[in-house]
Amino acid sequence: MNIGGASASIPFTTGFRTLMRREILRYIRRPRNTFMPPLITNVLYFSVFGVILGERVGTVLGVEYILFLLPGLVVLGAISNSFENSSFSIFHGRWNEYIHATVTSPLSYTEMVLAYVLSSALRGVIIGVLIALVGAVFIRPVPVEHPVYLVAFMAVITTLFAALGVIGGLWARDFDYLTVMNQFILRPLVFFGGVFYSIRELPRTWELVSLLNPMVYMVNGVRYGFLGPEAVDVGPNVALVVLTTATVVVVAFDIYLFHRGYGLTE
Amino acid sequence: MPSAIETEDLHKQYGDVHALKGVSLEVDEGEFFGLLGPNGAGKTTFINILVGLVAKSSGHAEVFGYDVEDDYQMARDAIGLAPQEFNVDRFFPIREVLVHKAGYHGVPKEVAVERADRVLKEVGIYDKRDTRFHFLSGGMKRRFMLARAMVTDPDLLILDEPTAGVDVQLRHDLWQLIERLNSEGTTILLTTHYIEEAEQLCDRVAIVDQGEVVEVETPDELMSRGSDTIYVTLRDPPETPPELEDDVLDAGMRDGDLVVRAEHGGRSLPGVVRSLDRAGHEILDVEIRRTTLEEVFVEVTDSLGDEALDDVREGFEEGAP
Repeated sequence: MNIGGASASIPFTTGFRTLMRREILRYIRRPRNTFMPPLITNVLYFSVFGVILGERVGTVLGVEYILFLLPGLVVLGAISNSFENSSFSIFHGRWNEYIHATVTSPLSYTEMVLAYVLSSALRGVIIGVLIALVGAVFIRPVPVEHPVYLVAFMAVITTLFAALGVIGGLWARDFDYLTVMNQFILRPLVFFGGVFYSIRELPRTWELVSLLNPMVYMVNGVRYGFLGPEAVDVGPNVALVVLTTATVVVVAFDIYLFHRGYGLTE
Repeated sequence: MPSAIETEDLHKQYGDVHALKGVSLEVDEGEFFGLLGPNGAGKTTFINILVGLVAKSSGHAEVFGYDVEDDYQMARDAIGLAPQEFNVDRFFPIREVLVHKAGYHGVPKEVAVERADRVLKEVGIYDKRDTRFHFLSGGMKRRFMLARAMVTDPDLLILDEPTAGVDVQLRHDLWQLIERLNSEGTTILLTTHYIEEAEQLCDRVAIVDQGEVVEVETPDELMSRGSDTIYVTLRDPPETPPELEDDVLDAGMRDGDLVVRAEHGGRSLPGVVRSLDRAGHEILDVEIRRTTLEEVFVEVTDSLGDEALDDVREGFEEGAP
Protein backbone atom coordinates (compact mmCIF):
# COMPACT_ATOMS: atom_id res chain seq x y z
CA MET A 1 0.00 0.00 0.00
CA ASN A 2 1.17 3.53 -0.65
CA ILE A 3 -0.70 5.38 2.09
CA GLY A 4 1.22 8.51 1.14
CA GLY A 5 -2.03 10.22 0.26
CA ALA A 6 -3.88 8.81 3.18
CA SER A 7 -2.55 10.54 6.21
CA ALA A 8 -5.15 12.93 7.57
CA SER A 9 -2.61 14.42 9.96
CA ILE A 10 -0.35 15.73 7.18
CA PRO A 11 -1.92 18.66 5.35
CA PHE A 12 -1.38 19.25 1.64
CA THR A 13 -0.38 15.69 0.83
CA THR A 14 0.45 14.43 -2.64
CA GLY A 15 -3.19 13.41 -3.04
CA PHE A 16 -4.45 16.88 -2.17
CA ARG A 17 -1.91 18.54 -4.47
CA THR A 18 -2.84 16.20 -7.29
CA LEU A 19 -6.54 16.99 -7.00
CA MET A 20 -5.73 20.71 -6.81
CA ARG A 21 -3.60 20.44 -9.95
CA ARG A 22 -6.29 18.48 -11.77
CA GLU A 23 -8.91 21.07 -10.89
CA ILE A 24 -6.73 24.02 -11.89
CA LEU A 25 -5.61 22.40 -15.16
CA ARG A 26 -9.23 21.76 -16.05
CA TYR A 27 -9.98 25.47 -16.32
CA ILE A 28 -6.53 26.70 -17.34
CA ARG A 29 -6.59 24.49 -20.44
CA ARG A 30 -10.01 25.69 -21.54
CA PRO A 31 -9.61 29.47 -21.63
CA ARG A 32 -12.28 29.86 -24.30
CA ASN A 33 -14.80 28.45 -21.84
CA THR A 34 -13.44 29.86 -18.63
CA PHE A 35 -11.54 33.14 -19.13
CA MET A 36 -12.77 34.57 -22.42
CA PRO A 37 -16.47 34.99 -21.54
CA PRO A 38 -15.90 37.19 -18.44
CA LEU A 39 -13.24 39.16 -20.31
CA ILE A 40 -15.60 39.96 -23.17
CA THR A 41 -18.52 40.68 -20.83
CA ASN A 42 -16.43 43.11 -18.81
CA VAL A 43 -15.09 44.90 -21.86
CA LEU A 44 -18.77 45.51 -22.69
CA TYR A 45 -19.60 46.58 -19.11
CA PHE A 46 -16.76 49.09 -19.03
CA SER A 47 -17.58 50.38 -22.51
CA VAL A 48 -21.33 50.81 -22.05
CA PHE A 49 -21.75 51.54 -18.34
CA GLY A 50 -18.38 53.07 -17.66
CA VAL A 51 -17.65 55.13 -20.74
CA ILE A 52 -20.96 55.83 -22.48
CA LEU A 53 -23.28 56.09 -19.45
CA GLY A 54 -20.50 57.06 -17.06
CA GLU A 55 -19.98 60.38 -18.72
CA ARG A 56 -23.63 61.27 -18.01
CA VAL A 57 -23.61 59.91 -14.44
CA GLY A 58 -20.49 61.87 -13.49
CA THR A 59 -19.31 60.91 -9.99
CA VAL A 60 -20.61 58.59 -7.25
CA LEU A 61 -19.41 59.07 -3.66
CA GLY A 62 -16.82 61.46 -5.00
CA VAL A 63 -15.23 59.19 -7.61
CA GLU A 64 -15.68 58.87 -11.35
CA TYR A 65 -18.47 56.42 -12.16
CA ILE A 66 -16.22 54.11 -14.18
CA LEU A 67 -13.83 53.91 -11.23
CA PHE A 68 -16.72 53.36 -8.81
CA LEU A 69 -17.91 50.54 -11.09
CA LEU A 70 -14.61 48.65 -11.24
CA PRO A 71 -14.56 46.99 -7.77
CA GLY A 72 -18.17 45.83 -8.19
CA LEU A 73 -17.40 44.23 -11.53
CA VAL A 74 -14.35 42.54 -10.03
CA VAL A 75 -16.55 41.09 -7.27
CA LEU A 76 -19.26 40.07 -9.72
CA GLY A 77 -16.80 38.18 -11.94
CA ALA A 78 -14.79 36.69 -9.10
CA ILE A 79 -17.64 35.22 -7.07
CA SER A 80 -19.62 34.06 -10.11
CA ASN A 81 -16.63 32.15 -11.41
CA SER A 82 -15.69 30.71 -8.02
CA PHE A 83 -19.22 29.44 -7.55
CA GLU A 84 -19.55 28.20 -11.10
CA ASN A 85 -16.24 26.36 -11.02
CA SER A 86 -16.82 24.26 -7.93
CA SER A 87 -20.49 23.61 -8.63
CA PHE A 88 -19.82 22.62 -12.25
CA SER A 89 -16.76 20.52 -11.50
CA ILE A 90 -18.49 18.50 -8.80
CA PHE A 91 -21.79 18.18 -10.62
CA HIS A 92 -20.17 17.23 -13.93
CA GLY A 93 -18.07 14.62 -12.13
CA ARG A 94 -21.20 13.24 -10.47
CA TRP A 95 -23.20 13.32 -13.69
CA ASN A 96 -20.54 11.33 -15.55
CA GLU A 97 -19.53 9.43 -12.40
CA TYR A 98 -15.81 10.13 -12.81
CA ILE A 99 -15.86 11.79 -9.40
CA HIS A 100 -15.86 8.17 -8.19
CA ALA A 101 -12.13 8.07 -8.94
CA THR A 102 -11.68 10.80 -6.34
CA VAL A 103 -14.25 9.56 -3.86
CA THR A 104 -12.80 6.02 -3.83
CA SER A 105 -9.28 7.37 -3.26
CA PRO A 106 -7.58 7.59 0.12
CA LEU A 107 -7.90 11.38 0.25
CA SER A 108 -9.52 12.63 3.45
CA TYR A 109 -12.84 14.40 3.07
CA THR A 110 -11.15 17.61 4.25
CA GLU A 111 -8.53 17.32 1.53
CA MET A 112 -11.17 16.70 -1.12
CA VAL A 113 -13.20 19.74 -0.08
CA LEU A 114 -10.18 22.03 0.27
CA ALA A 115 -8.89 21.02 -3.17
CA TYR A 116 -12.24 21.81 -4.83
CA VAL A 117 -12.73 25.03 -2.86
CA LEU A 118 -9.23 26.48 -3.15
CA SER A 119 -8.84 25.69 -6.85
CA SER A 120 -12.22 27.33 -7.52
CA ALA A 121 -11.36 30.33 -5.35
CA LEU A 122 -8.14 30.70 -7.34
CA ARG A 123 -10.16 30.83 -10.55
CA GLY A 124 -12.25 33.60 -9.01
CA VAL A 125 -9.15 35.57 -8.04
CA ILE A 126 -7.64 35.15 -11.54
CA ILE A 127 -10.88 36.40 -13.08
CA GLY A 128 -10.88 39.33 -10.64
CA VAL A 129 -7.33 40.26 -11.67
CA LEU A 130 -8.22 39.96 -15.37
CA ILE A 131 -11.23 42.24 -14.90
CA ALA A 132 -9.06 44.77 -13.08
CA LEU A 133 -6.63 44.62 -16.01
CA VAL A 134 -9.50 45.24 -18.45
CA GLY A 135 -10.49 48.16 -16.23
CA ALA A 136 -6.94 49.47 -16.42
CA VAL A 137 -7.36 49.83 -20.19
CA PHE A 138 -10.20 52.27 -19.54
CA ILE A 139 -8.95 53.84 -16.31
CA ARG A 140 -5.37 54.94 -15.79
CA PRO A 141 -4.15 54.43 -13.20
CA VAL A 142 -6.30 51.98 -11.20
CA PRO A 143 -5.73 52.93 -7.58
CA VAL A 144 -5.23 50.36 -4.82
CA GLU A 145 -5.59 52.30 -1.58
CA HIS A 146 -5.62 49.38 0.84
CA PRO A 147 -3.95 46.33 -0.75
CA VAL A 148 -4.20 44.20 2.41
CA TYR A 149 -7.96 44.69 2.57
CA LEU A 150 -8.25 44.09 -1.13
CA VAL A 151 -6.37 40.78 -0.93
CA ALA A 152 -8.21 39.72 2.22
CA PHE A 153 -11.67 40.44 0.81
CA MET A 154 -10.87 38.79 -2.52
CA ALA A 155 -9.54 35.70 -0.76
CA VAL A 156 -12.52 35.46 1.57
CA ILE A 157 -15.33 36.08 -0.91
CA THR A 158 -13.96 33.76 -3.58
CA THR A 159 -13.44 31.02 -0.98
CA LEU A 160 -16.93 31.58 0.39
CA PHE A 161 -18.54 31.29 -3.02
CA ALA A 162 -16.40 28.34 -4.02
CA ALA A 163 -17.57 26.62 -0.83
CA LEU A 164 -21.19 27.50 -1.63
CA GLY A 165 -20.61 26.09 -5.10
CA VAL A 166 -19.61 22.76 -3.55
CA ILE A 167 -23.03 22.59 -1.89
CA GLY A 168 -24.65 23.50 -5.20
CA GLY A 169 -22.67 20.83 -7.05
CA LEU A 170 -23.66 18.17 -4.54
CA TRP A 171 -27.30 19.29 -4.44
CA ALA A 172 -27.90 19.60 -8.18
CA ARG A 173 -29.79 16.77 -9.84
CA ASP A 174 -29.61 18.24 -13.32
CA PHE A 175 -27.76 20.97 -15.22
CA ASP A 176 -30.87 23.15 -14.84
CA TYR A 177 -30.20 23.36 -11.11
CA LEU A 178 -26.86 25.09 -11.80
CA THR A 179 -28.52 27.61 -14.10
CA VAL A 180 -31.22 28.31 -11.51
CA MET A 181 -28.67 28.91 -8.77
CA ASN A 182 -26.57 31.23 -10.90
CA GLN A 183 -29.26 33.18 -12.71
CA PHE A 184 -32.07 33.39 -10.14
CA ILE A 185 -30.20 33.57 -6.83
CA LEU A 186 -26.62 34.69 -7.28
CA ARG A 187 -27.00 37.27 -10.03
CA PRO A 188 -29.95 39.22 -8.51
CA LEU A 189 -28.16 39.42 -5.16
CA VAL A 190 -25.04 40.77 -6.87
CA PHE A 191 -26.93 43.27 -9.01
CA PHE A 192 -28.78 44.59 -5.95
CA GLY A 193 -25.56 44.55 -3.95
CA GLY A 194 -24.33 47.96 -5.00
CA VAL A 195 -22.21 46.96 -7.98
CA PHE A 196 -23.66 49.67 -10.23
CA TYR A 197 -24.81 52.21 -7.64
CA SER A 198 -24.25 53.41 -4.12
CA ILE A 199 -26.98 52.20 -1.78
CA ARG A 200 -27.01 55.69 -0.23
CA GLU A 201 -28.76 56.83 -3.39
CA LEU A 202 -31.70 54.54 -2.63
CA PRO A 203 -34.77 55.61 -0.61
CA ARG A 204 -34.11 55.02 3.09
CA THR A 205 -36.26 51.85 3.26
CA TRP A 206 -34.50 50.21 0.33
CA GLU A 207 -31.14 51.27 1.70
CA LEU A 208 -31.95 49.40 4.93
CA VAL A 209 -33.23 46.40 2.99
CA SER A 210 -30.04 46.42 0.95
CA LEU A 211 -28.01 46.12 4.14
CA LEU A 212 -29.49 42.64 4.54
CA ASN A 213 -27.85 41.62 1.29
CA PRO A 214 -24.42 40.11 2.04
CA MET A 215 -23.19 41.18 -1.40
CA VAL A 216 -23.27 44.82 -0.26
CA TYR A 217 -20.53 44.07 2.26
CA MET A 218 -18.44 42.14 -0.26
CA VAL A 219 -18.64 44.86 -2.88
CA ASN A 220 -17.92 47.50 -0.27
CA GLY A 221 -14.97 45.57 1.08
CA VAL A 222 -13.31 45.26 -2.31
CA ARG A 223 -14.22 48.87 -3.12
CA TYR A 224 -12.55 49.91 0.12
CA GLY A 225 -9.42 48.05 -0.95
CA PHE A 226 -9.33 49.82 -4.33
CA LEU A 227 -10.67 53.28 -3.53
CA GLY A 228 -10.39 53.87 0.23
CA PRO A 229 -12.96 54.90 2.86
CA GLU A 230 -14.57 57.83 0.98
CA ALA A 231 -16.08 55.62 -1.71
CA VAL A 232 -17.84 53.02 0.45
CA ASP A 233 -21.26 52.82 2.10
CA VAL A 234 -20.24 50.63 5.06
CA GLY A 235 -16.96 49.96 6.82
CA PRO A 236 -14.86 46.91 6.01
CA ASN A 237 -13.76 45.44 9.35
CA VAL A 238 -16.96 43.94 10.71
CA ALA A 239 -17.82 42.72 7.21
CA LEU A 240 -14.46 40.98 6.92
CA VAL A 241 -14.91 39.21 10.25
CA VAL A 242 -18.48 38.15 9.43
CA LEU A 243 -17.57 36.94 5.95
CA THR A 244 -14.54 35.03 7.23
CA THR A 245 -16.71 33.35 9.84
CA ALA A 246 -19.31 32.50 7.20
CA THR A 247 -16.58 31.03 4.98
CA VAL A 248 -15.26 28.80 7.75
CA VAL A 249 -18.80 27.62 8.55
CA VAL A 250 -19.63 26.85 4.92
CA VAL A 251 -16.34 24.97 4.34
CA ALA A 252 -16.99 22.95 7.50
CA PHE A 253 -20.48 22.19 6.19
CA ASP A 254 -18.96 21.04 2.87
CA ILE A 255 -16.71 18.62 4.73
CA TYR A 256 -19.70 17.35 6.69
CA LEU A 257 -21.61 16.76 3.44
CA PHE A 258 -18.67 14.84 1.93
CA HIS A 259 -18.39 12.81 5.10
CA ARG A 260 -22.07 11.98 4.94
CA GLY A 261 -21.71 11.17 1.26
CA TYR A 262 -24.47 13.64 0.35
CA GLY A 263 -24.91 13.49 -3.42
CA LEU A 264 -21.90 11.18 -3.68
CA THR A 265 -22.96 7.85 -2.24
CA GLU A 266 -26.19 5.94 -2.54
CA MET B 1 -2.78 -11.71 9.25
CA PRO B 2 -6.14 -10.08 8.46
CA SER B 3 -8.24 -11.25 5.55
CA ALA B 4 -8.26 -9.20 2.37
CA ILE B 5 -12.01 -8.76 2.79
CA GLU B 6 -14.14 -9.60 5.77
CA THR B 7 -17.79 -8.72 6.04
CA GLU B 8 -20.27 -9.66 8.69
CA ASP B 9 -24.04 -9.46 8.43
CA LEU B 10 -23.82 -6.70 5.82
CA HIS B 11 -27.16 -5.15 4.92
CA LYS B 12 -28.17 -2.55 2.38
CA GLN B 13 -31.68 -1.27 2.03
CA TYR B 14 -32.84 1.05 -0.78
CA GLY B 15 -36.33 2.06 0.34
CA ASP B 16 -38.35 -1.12 0.11
CA VAL B 17 -35.63 -3.00 -1.75
CA HIS B 18 -33.32 -5.10 0.41
CA ALA B 19 -30.25 -5.26 -1.85
CA LEU B 20 -28.00 -7.07 0.66
CA LYS B 21 -29.50 -9.30 3.32
CA GLY B 22 -26.79 -10.03 5.82
CA VAL B 23 -23.79 -10.89 3.66
CA SER B 24 -20.94 -12.48 5.62
CA LEU B 25 -17.87 -13.24 3.53
CA GLU B 26 -14.18 -13.74 4.07
CA VAL B 27 -11.66 -13.48 1.23
CA ASP B 28 -8.10 -14.51 2.02
CA GLU B 29 -5.09 -12.46 1.04
CA GLY B 30 -3.78 -13.57 -2.37
CA GLU B 31 -6.97 -15.38 -3.25
CA PHE B 32 -8.79 -15.18 -6.59
CA PHE B 33 -12.37 -14.90 -5.42
CA GLY B 34 -15.47 -14.82 -7.59
CA LEU B 35 -18.85 -13.33 -6.84
CA LEU B 36 -21.26 -15.13 -9.07
CA GLY B 37 -24.84 -14.10 -9.53
CA PRO B 38 -27.38 -12.78 -11.97
CA ASN B 39 -27.98 -9.07 -12.55
CA GLY B 40 -29.52 -7.48 -9.49
CA ALA B 41 -28.14 -10.11 -7.11
CA GLY B 42 -26.28 -7.47 -5.07
CA LYS B 43 -22.73 -7.97 -6.37
CA THR B 44 -22.09 -4.34 -7.30
CA THR B 45 -23.73 -3.07 -4.11
CA PHE B 46 -21.34 -5.27 -2.12
CA ILE B 47 -18.34 -3.87 -3.98
CA ASN B 48 -19.52 -0.29 -3.72
CA ILE B 49 -19.79 -0.60 0.05
CA LEU B 50 -16.13 -1.69 0.17
CA VAL B 51 -14.92 1.29 -1.88
CA GLY B 52 -17.17 3.91 -0.28
CA LEU B 53 -19.68 4.54 -3.06
CA VAL B 54 -22.56 3.02 -1.13
CA ALA B 55 -23.23 3.52 2.57
CA LYS B 56 -24.15 0.27 4.29
CA SER B 57 -27.39 0.11 6.23
CA SER B 58 -25.91 -2.13 8.91
CA GLY B 59 -23.24 -4.75 9.48
CA HIS B 60 -19.49 -4.65 9.31
CA ALA B 61 -16.97 -4.57 6.46
CA GLU B 62 -13.17 -4.56 6.57
CA VAL B 63 -10.45 -4.51 3.93
CA PHE B 64 -7.11 -5.84 5.16
CA GLY B 65 -8.34 -5.25 8.69
CA TYR B 66 -9.38 -1.65 8.06
CA ASP B 67 -13.01 -0.73 8.60
CA VAL B 68 -14.37 0.68 5.34
CA GLU B 69 -15.99 3.63 7.16
CA ASP B 70 -13.89 4.32 10.25
CA ASP B 71 -10.54 3.71 8.49
CA TYR B 72 -11.79 4.62 5.03
CA GLN B 73 -8.48 6.11 3.83
CA MET B 74 -6.46 3.01 4.62
CA ALA B 75 -9.12 0.69 3.24
CA ARG B 76 -9.47 2.65 0.00
CA ASP B 77 -5.73 2.93 -0.45
CA ALA B 78 -5.53 -0.86 -0.67
CA ILE B 79 -8.17 -1.15 -3.39
CA GLY B 80 -7.99 -0.81 -7.16
CA LEU B 81 -11.45 -0.80 -8.72
CA ALA B 82 -12.44 -1.48 -12.32
CA PRO B 83 -16.16 -0.79 -12.34
CA GLN B 84 -18.59 -2.16 -14.86
CA GLU B 85 -19.69 1.27 -16.08
CA PHE B 86 -17.26 3.58 -17.87
CA ASN B 87 -16.65 6.51 -15.53
CA VAL B 88 -13.49 8.21 -16.73
CA ASP B 89 -12.52 11.87 -16.50
CA ARG B 90 -13.26 13.22 -19.97
CA PHE B 91 -11.25 16.42 -19.69
CA PHE B 92 -7.83 14.77 -19.82
CA PRO B 93 -5.93 12.30 -22.01
CA ILE B 94 -5.87 8.82 -20.54
CA ARG B 95 -2.24 8.96 -19.47
CA GLU B 96 -2.95 12.03 -17.38
CA VAL B 97 -6.06 10.41 -15.91
CA LEU B 98 -3.82 7.61 -14.68
CA VAL B 99 -1.26 10.05 -13.28
CA HIS B 100 -4.04 11.81 -11.38
CA LYS B 101 -5.43 8.56 -10.01
CA ALA B 102 -2.01 7.45 -8.79
CA GLY B 103 -1.48 10.91 -7.31
CA TYR B 104 -4.69 10.65 -5.28
CA HIS B 105 -3.13 7.55 -3.74
CA GLY B 106 -0.05 9.50 -2.73
CA VAL B 107 2.23 8.48 -5.59
CA PRO B 108 4.60 11.35 -6.49
CA LYS B 109 4.17 12.71 -10.01
CA GLU B 110 7.41 11.34 -11.51
CA VAL B 111 6.65 7.84 -10.23
CA ALA B 112 3.01 8.16 -11.27
CA VAL B 113 4.04 8.98 -14.85
CA GLU B 114 6.27 5.87 -14.99
CA ARG B 115 3.49 3.73 -13.59
CA ALA B 116 0.95 5.16 -16.03
CA ASP B 117 3.21 4.29 -18.96
CA ARG B 118 3.84 0.82 -17.56
CA VAL B 119 0.18 -0.12 -17.11
CA LEU B 120 -0.78 1.36 -20.48
CA LYS B 121 1.84 -0.92 -22.06
CA GLU B 122 0.61 -3.87 -20.04
CA VAL B 123 -2.95 -3.49 -21.27
CA GLY B 124 -1.75 -2.72 -24.79
CA ILE B 125 -2.95 0.86 -25.35
CA TYR B 126 0.25 2.82 -24.78
CA ASP B 127 0.12 4.32 -28.25
CA LYS B 128 -3.23 5.88 -27.30
CA ARG B 129 -1.80 7.57 -24.21
CA ASP B 130 -2.52 11.11 -25.42
CA THR B 131 -6.08 10.32 -26.47
CA ARG B 132 -9.07 11.15 -24.34
CA PHE B 133 -11.13 8.19 -23.11
CA HIS B 134 -14.16 9.23 -25.12
CA PHE B 135 -12.28 8.59 -28.38
CA LEU B 136 -11.14 5.03 -27.58
CA SER B 137 -12.83 1.98 -29.07
CA GLY B 138 -14.99 -0.21 -26.84
CA GLY B 139 -12.26 -2.80 -26.30
CA MET B 140 -9.67 -0.13 -25.53
CA LYS B 141 -12.03 1.43 -23.02
CA ARG B 142 -12.34 -1.90 -21.23
CA ARG B 143 -8.54 -2.25 -21.23
CA PHE B 144 -8.21 1.25 -19.80
CA MET B 145 -10.57 0.47 -16.94
CA LEU B 146 -8.20 -2.29 -15.90
CA ALA B 147 -5.17 -0.01 -16.32
CA ARG B 148 -6.72 2.59 -14.02
CA ALA B 149 -7.38 -0.04 -11.38
CA MET B 150 -3.78 -1.26 -11.66
CA VAL B 151 -1.97 2.09 -11.60
CA THR B 152 -2.09 2.40 -7.82
CA ASP B 153 -0.48 -1.06 -7.40
CA PRO B 154 -3.39 -2.21 -5.26
CA ASP B 155 -3.26 -5.13 -2.86
CA LEU B 156 -6.89 -5.85 -3.66
CA LEU B 157 -8.06 -5.59 -7.25
CA ILE B 158 -11.84 -5.47 -7.60
CA LEU B 159 -13.13 -6.21 -11.08
CA ASP B 160 -16.83 -5.72 -11.63
CA GLU B 161 -17.77 -7.62 -14.77
CA PRO B 162 -14.44 -6.74 -16.44
CA THR B 163 -15.14 -8.66 -19.63
CA ALA B 164 -18.75 -7.63 -20.15
CA GLY B 165 -19.37 -7.26 -23.86
CA VAL B 166 -15.78 -7.79 -25.06
CA ASP B 167 -14.65 -10.15 -27.82
CA VAL B 168 -13.04 -13.52 -27.21
CA GLN B 169 -9.47 -12.39 -27.88
CA LEU B 170 -9.69 -9.45 -25.51
CA ARG B 171 -11.37 -11.61 -22.89
CA HIS B 172 -8.42 -14.00 -22.97
CA ASP B 173 -5.91 -11.13 -22.88
CA LEU B 174 -7.61 -9.70 -19.82
CA TRP B 175 -7.79 -13.12 -18.16
CA GLN B 176 -4.05 -13.63 -18.68
CA LEU B 177 -3.24 -10.25 -17.22
CA ILE B 178 -5.48 -10.75 -14.20
CA GLU B 179 -4.09 -14.23 -13.57
CA ARG B 180 -0.56 -12.82 -13.68
CA LEU B 181 -1.41 -10.13 -11.15
CA ASN B 182 -2.93 -12.77 -8.89
CA SER B 183 0.15 -14.98 -9.20
CA GLU B 184 2.24 -11.98 -8.12
CA GLY B 185 0.23 -11.73 -4.91
CA THR B 186 -2.65 -9.37 -5.69
CA THR B 187 -5.94 -10.47 -4.20
CA ILE B 188 -8.64 -10.45 -6.84
CA LEU B 189 -12.36 -10.03 -6.30
CA LEU B 190 -14.14 -10.72 -9.56
CA THR B 191 -17.84 -10.33 -10.10
CA THR B 192 -19.32 -11.92 -13.14
CA HIS B 193 -22.38 -13.59 -14.45
CA TYR B 194 -20.21 -15.42 -16.99
CA ILE B 195 -20.03 -18.73 -15.17
CA GLU B 196 -17.27 -20.02 -17.44
CA GLU B 197 -15.11 -17.13 -16.29
CA ALA B 198 -15.53 -17.98 -12.63
CA GLU B 199 -14.93 -21.67 -13.35
CA GLN B 200 -11.69 -20.94 -15.15
CA LEU B 201 -10.18 -18.23 -12.94
CA CYS B 202 -11.40 -18.41 -9.37
CA ASP B 203 -9.98 -20.24 -6.38
CA ARG B 204 -13.32 -19.91 -4.64
CA VAL B 205 -16.71 -18.71 -5.70
CA ALA B 206 -19.56 -17.20 -3.74
CA ILE B 207 -22.94 -17.63 -5.34
CA VAL B 208 -25.03 -14.58 -4.59
CA ASP B 209 -28.74 -14.67 -5.07
CA GLN B 210 -31.18 -11.91 -4.25
CA GLY B 211 -28.84 -10.19 -1.80
CA GLU B 212 -27.72 -13.33 0.01
CA VAL B 213 -24.65 -15.54 -0.24
CA VAL B 214 -26.07 -18.95 -1.04
CA GLU B 215 -22.81 -20.92 -1.27
CA VAL B 216 -19.06 -20.36 -0.97
CA GLU B 217 -16.95 -23.17 -2.43
CA THR B 218 -14.29 -23.91 -4.99
CA PRO B 219 -15.60 -24.35 -8.54
CA ASP B 220 -14.61 -28.07 -8.37
CA GLU B 221 -16.50 -28.58 -5.12
CA LEU B 222 -19.53 -26.91 -6.57
CA MET B 223 -19.41 -29.00 -9.72
CA SER B 224 -18.94 -32.21 -7.76
CA ARG B 225 -22.23 -31.50 -6.04
CA GLY B 226 -24.16 -31.57 -9.25
CA SER B 227 -25.47 -34.50 -11.26
CA ASP B 228 -24.18 -35.96 -14.56
CA THR B 229 -26.28 -36.96 -17.53
CA ILE B 230 -25.80 -40.20 -19.52
CA TYR B 231 -27.22 -40.28 -23.06
CA VAL B 232 -27.71 -43.82 -24.46
CA THR B 233 -28.70 -44.36 -28.09
CA LEU B 234 -30.54 -47.69 -28.53
CA ARG B 235 -31.26 -49.60 -31.75
CA ASP B 236 -34.93 -50.10 -30.89
CA PRO B 237 -35.75 -47.49 -28.27
CA PRO B 238 -38.69 -48.34 -26.04
CA GLU B 239 -41.43 -45.78 -25.29
CA THR B 240 -40.74 -45.82 -21.57
CA PRO B 241 -37.33 -46.18 -19.91
CA PRO B 242 -36.34 -49.71 -18.93
CA GLU B 243 -35.79 -50.73 -15.30
CA LEU B 244 -32.35 -49.52 -14.15
CA GLU B 245 -30.16 -50.17 -11.11
CA ASP B 246 -30.71 -48.14 -7.97
CA ASP B 247 -27.81 -45.62 -8.16
CA VAL B 248 -29.40 -43.39 -10.80
CA LEU B 249 -31.43 -40.32 -9.87
CA ASP B 250 -33.96 -40.52 -12.68
CA ALA B 251 -34.33 -41.66 -16.28
CA GLY B 252 -36.49 -40.82 -19.26
CA MET B 253 -36.75 -41.06 -23.04
CA ARG B 254 -35.91 -37.97 -25.13
CA ASP B 255 -35.80 -37.91 -28.94
CA GLY B 256 -35.33 -41.68 -29.02
CA ASP B 257 -32.42 -41.62 -26.56
CA LEU B 258 -32.43 -42.91 -23.03
CA VAL B 259 -31.45 -40.00 -20.78
CA VAL B 260 -30.22 -41.00 -17.33
CA ARG B 261 -29.31 -38.56 -14.54
CA ALA B 262 -26.82 -39.81 -11.94
CA GLU B 263 -24.64 -38.25 -9.25
CA HIS B 264 -21.50 -39.69 -10.86
CA GLY B 265 -22.04 -40.66 -14.47
CA GLY B 266 -18.85 -42.71 -14.79
CA ARG B 267 -19.66 -44.87 -11.77
CA SER B 268 -23.28 -45.44 -12.76
CA LEU B 269 -22.62 -46.26 -16.42
CA PRO B 270 -21.65 -49.98 -15.99
CA GLY B 271 -24.87 -50.61 -14.06
CA VAL B 272 -26.91 -48.83 -16.75
CA VAL B 273 -25.27 -50.94 -19.47
CA ARG B 274 -25.89 -54.18 -17.49
CA SER B 275 -29.55 -53.27 -16.99
CA LEU B 276 -30.01 -52.56 -20.69
CA ASP B 277 -28.26 -55.86 -21.62
CA ARG B 278 -30.52 -57.79 -19.30
CA ALA B 279 -33.55 -56.14 -20.87
CA GLY B 280 -32.26 -57.16 -24.34
CA HIS B 281 -31.53 -53.66 -25.68
CA GLU B 282 -28.73 -53.13 -28.20
CA ILE B 283 -26.62 -50.06 -27.39
CA LEU B 284 -25.43 -47.99 -30.38
CA ASP B 285 -23.78 -45.04 -28.60
CA VAL B 286 -23.12 -43.70 -25.10
CA GLU B 287 -22.23 -40.17 -24.02
CA ILE B 288 -21.71 -38.74 -20.54
CA ARG B 289 -22.11 -35.02 -20.06
CA ARG B 290 -20.35 -33.69 -17.03
CA THR B 291 -22.06 -31.23 -14.74
CA THR B 292 -21.33 -27.63 -15.58
CA LEU B 293 -21.04 -24.88 -13.05
CA GLU B 294 -23.97 -23.31 -14.80
CA GLU B 295 -26.17 -26.28 -13.95
CA VAL B 296 -24.99 -26.25 -10.35
CA PHE B 297 -25.66 -22.55 -10.24
CA VAL B 298 -29.19 -23.05 -11.47
CA GLU B 299 -29.75 -25.86 -8.97
CA VAL B 300 -28.39 -23.80 -6.09
CA THR B 301 -30.39 -20.75 -6.98
CA ASP B 302 -33.56 -22.58 -7.90
CA SER B 303 -35.57 -19.79 -6.35
CA LEU B 304 -34.51 -17.41 -9.12
CA GLY B 305 -37.15 -15.95 -11.36
CA ASP B 306 -37.22 -16.72 -15.09
CA GLU B 307 -35.70 -13.37 -15.99
CA ALA B 308 -32.69 -13.92 -13.76
CA LEU B 309 -32.19 -17.39 -15.15
CA ASP B 310 -32.25 -15.98 -18.65
CA ASP B 311 -29.49 -13.58 -17.63
CA VAL B 312 -27.39 -16.46 -16.39
CA ARG B 313 -27.90 -18.54 -19.50
CA GLU B 314 -27.25 -15.58 -21.74
CA GLY B 315 -24.11 -14.79 -19.79
CA PHE B 316 -22.99 -18.39 -20.08
CA GLU B 317 -23.49 -18.44 -23.83
CA GLU B 318 -21.86 -15.06 -24.43
CA GLY B 319 -19.05 -15.80 -22.02
CA ALA B 320 -18.07 -19.13 -23.50
CA PRO B 321 -14.56 -18.75 -24.87
